[in-house]
Amino acid sequence: MTRAARLVLGVVVAAMLPRAGWAQGYRLRVDTRVQAAAYRGVTLDSIAVADTVSGPSGGPSTPDGFAVNCVGGGRYCRFFRPGPAVHSAPITTTADLTLWGLGVPGLSVRATGRVAGDLSGADRWPGTDSHVQLLEGYADYSSEHVSAQLGRQAVPTRFGFTGFDGGRLALRTGQQGLEVTGYGGWGLARGVALPVTSPALNPLDDFQPRQRQLVAGASAGWVAPRFDVRLSYLREVDPRVDYFVGERAGVDLTIRPARGWSLVGGADYDLAAGWWGSAEATLGYAALSGRVAATVGARRYRPHFDLWTIWGAFSPVPYRAGQVSLAITPLDRLRVRARGERYEYDNSETSTPLVSFETSGWRYSWGATYTASAAWTLDGGYQSEFGPGASSRGFEGSVSYAAGERLALVFNAATLDRPLEFRYDDASLKQYGVQAVYRPSPRALFQLDASRYAEDRRRPDAAAFDWDQLRFSARVVLLFGNGADMANLPPAVRRMPGGRAAR
Amino acid sequence: MRALRVALALAALGGSGASAQQLPAPAAAASGFDHEKHRKLFPACETCHPGAAEPGAPIWPTAASCAACHDGTIESRVSWQRPTEVPRTNLRFDHSAGAEVKLHPAQCVDCHAKKGAPWMTVQRVLPERCLDCHEIKTAHFAAPDTACAYCHVPLVRATRLARQDIADFPKPPSHEQPDFVRGSGHGAAAKARKPVAESCSVCHARDFCLACHVDAPEQAPIQALASDPRATAIVVRLEPPPSHADESFLGGHGAIARRAPADCVTCHTQESCQTCHVGKPRVARALHRSAESGRGIGAVMRRRRPPWHGDNFATNHAQRAAAATATCAACHVRADCLECHRPDAARAAGYHPSGFLARHPAAAYARETSCSSCHNAGSFCTSCHASAGLKAAAGPLGSGYHDATRFFIAGHGGAARQSLETCTSCHAERDCLTCHSALGGRRFNPHGPGFDPNRLIKKNPQMCTACHGTVIPTR
Repeated sequence: MTRAARLVLGVVVAAMLPRAGWAQGYRLRVDTRVQAAAYRGVTLDSIAVADTVSGPSGGPSTPDGFAVNCVGGGRYCRFFRPGPAVHSAPITTTADLTLWGLGVPGLSVRATGRVAGDLSGADRWPGTDSHVQLLEGYADYSSEHVSAQLGRQAVPTRFGFTGFDGGRLALRTGQQGLEVTGYGGWGLARGVALPVTSPALNPLDDFQPRQRQLVAGASAGWVAPRFDVRLSYLREVDPRVDYFVGERAGVDLTIRPARGWSLVGGADYDLAAGWWGSAEATLGYAALSGRVAATVGARRYRPHFDLWTIWGAFSPVPYRAGQVSLAITPLDRLRVRARGERYEYDNSETSTPLVSFETSGWRYSWGATYTASAAWTLDGGYQSEFGPGASSRGFEGSVSYAAGERLALVFNAATLDRPLEFRYDDASLKQYGVQAVYRPSPRALFQLDASRYAEDRRRPDAAAFDWDQLRFSARVVLLFGNGADMANLPPAVRRMPGGRAAR
Repeated sequence: MRALRVALALAALGGSGASAQQLPAPAAAASGFDHEKHRKLFPACETCHPGAAEPGAPIWPTAASCAACHDGTIESRVSWQRPTEVPRTNLRFDHSAGAEVKLHPAQCVDCHAKKGAPWMTVQRVLPERCLDCHEIKTAHFAAPDTACAYCHVPLVRATRLARQDIADFPKPPSHEQPDFVRGSGHGAAAKARKPVAESCSVCHARDFCLACHVDAPEQAPIQALASDPRATAIVVRLEPPPSHADESFLGGHGAIARRAPADCVTCHTQESCQTCHVGKPRVARALHRSAESGRGIGAVMRRRRPPWHGDNFATNHAQRAAAATATCAACHVRADCLECHRPDAARAAGYHPSGFLARHPAAAYARETSCSSCHNAGSFCTSCHASAGLKAAAGPLGSGYHDATRFFIAGHGGAARQSLETCTSCHAERDCLTCHSALGGRRFNPHGPGFDPNRLIKKNPQMCTACHGTVIPTR
């Protein structure tokens, strides 16, 4: 966080603290989770070309049976041996605080912070570094025509969940449904509440920006009974050299032509790279009764890379996909679902007779949920995907038991086969486990998970191995404050007969 | 005639009020005294029921008077006992000392026998006989509002009635009319007389109205009714009006609520709104809180997924959320977004099912969805792969991992352009610059379809200098 950002945040927090004591309402949700898991990776090794032998597949291998990869002209071939077991026990505590009734109608303060660590001491689990993160923290003012936020926040747009330290202002009309939004500040990295300068984002010690990018965005939207449309623009600039990190524009559209029908779509254009990014269009039907829901659509996906990396210059090609999904309730207690997608990459304009690779793929899944009674639910399904790089297929099922709203038990099991395209790693996996959730009161939740994980990495060489383990996780959620329950609802809701369904 | 009166009075006490509200018969009737069998012995009702004619006199005969005949000699003995239970009735007229109407001008048979019936074929009081005398030319439950009070006291004064008695009240046919529950139905009926129609108060008290009416304090007819917790013995279930069943209602109810909140306050509280609109407390401002004294609890709402969410909404919600963020915010709070978009490292399952780690390669290679919306490639993908040993930067090219394809390095370009995000989860920029740099190495040109050097130079020439140094070629 830059000095200026710290200063702004400090001013906001300082301005709110004296009033916080007078806040008419507050809600604090503390969510602590811990997980114990182990994984077994690989260890890089090498062998002189002269020491290799011909392996079972005809390619070179080590004398003790490991397939090796030799680069033409090189003196050494490389290969990976099964690595040691790596044990991790990540633990996180996320606190979500909301204050309202601060003396100004419509003013509230929201903050979500997280403390993360690894009880095993290995610090190898992703997402536990840095150990203290402020996910969001801002003052919010909302009235019928104006919304304003100041502080650390994330804006959901077509370009993702863009995080920044700064301000956002939205102006809207009442009946017409028009809204104009502008925001700006010091940006955060994608998918995380850390600045791009954080060492935690650079595990390979690669090139890294020295300063945070400046973010500026705007959007204009119209929400009408029959359609919603929004035009968005986002630019990110490297303040050190005043060059673009990214510049994109996009449109999102939802049309509701008739009851139950919707057409949802959008597209974005990368103004910096000069090409179209991702786009989607989906026609959907959902019966009000919920008995039928179906979609058919097409989409295009192209990854976006910031301009302070070289990846965009490698010309990532998009893929185009057609997809369909259907979910029906043929019987009152039975829900059947299926979905599928077929995709194909654009021509990458690369070819070599030495290597062939997949340029298209498909994925589908089907399943069913049977609600035997208010307490018992059975679910089962199958998923399969095939495409470049990796494929997978497997069954999964669960049996759930709910004793009212207080106790829930879920027994689950799954199988998986995972063939890879570029590596001898045809893994086979069986997993089964149990989950227990106990809600002694609307202000507390306890959850325990335990699962048996048995993996068999079938390879034609010595790198094959079995990998079995037990995995555990636990979770405790506590709520404090007035007007708090598991879903931010006021106490009167909790007094309603029958309570309310947990989300 | 006196004996007849007594007999009829006996029967009347046995069924006093029961005919009106079907109350259980008292002990006398249950004992099986057969009036018809004794009809030749008793010419007058008052013989056995002197209280029917003389105020203060007992209404029931004594056991000794029965024993005058049933002495074991003339007739067999009987074990008749004078009833001790006070009749449970809401009739204004009965024969007890505390009755509202003790004396009645009618003869016993006028109430307790059908017109023209043989002597002593008595029954419980017959409402149609009451209506006939009072010249009310309708069926019992179709009687005009003003007629009820002729015979019945308000529920709150019918203190002898138990909850079960009230629960067993028959439902008048008018209440079965489709529009009776709402609109101009029961409300108009209640307002037919000021402050409230008397017919309502016969069976109902304010507590009954509070089962539904949130706006009870603002409704004069409801306030005109006295409070009586027994009134809730009649169970009523609040049903949504037909308008709520329209498919467009869920999407358009906000505008209706803003335009005419008074239409909502009858049945809905602030909590109705906040069950779903958790992040928008102000939308409920026009409504009352159920916690306020004297208000009904109103409609009890359940938070459910809207039908248009479909079954794959978690995967497909991005466009809808981007097009109309405020629509999402009506029901969702920030924590809902952060749950997935800022994932918890210690979470075993959530958006992805348990065990997804094992099958994530297939989903990630050809991006089933945009991973970077929720995961940072550096802190999440690369750091984990590096911990597992997949640290390509460990040596030149680091080619050993792709061992199933012998010449992968020679033909990796296509795979890389298709799944570049996957490559970057293990490879650093430096790995690629080993070959793809204009400054040294093998100087392979990485630029492919769609590459626009002039635009990139304009936007960020620094990117070009990574490979080209200060001499950046242009086209």
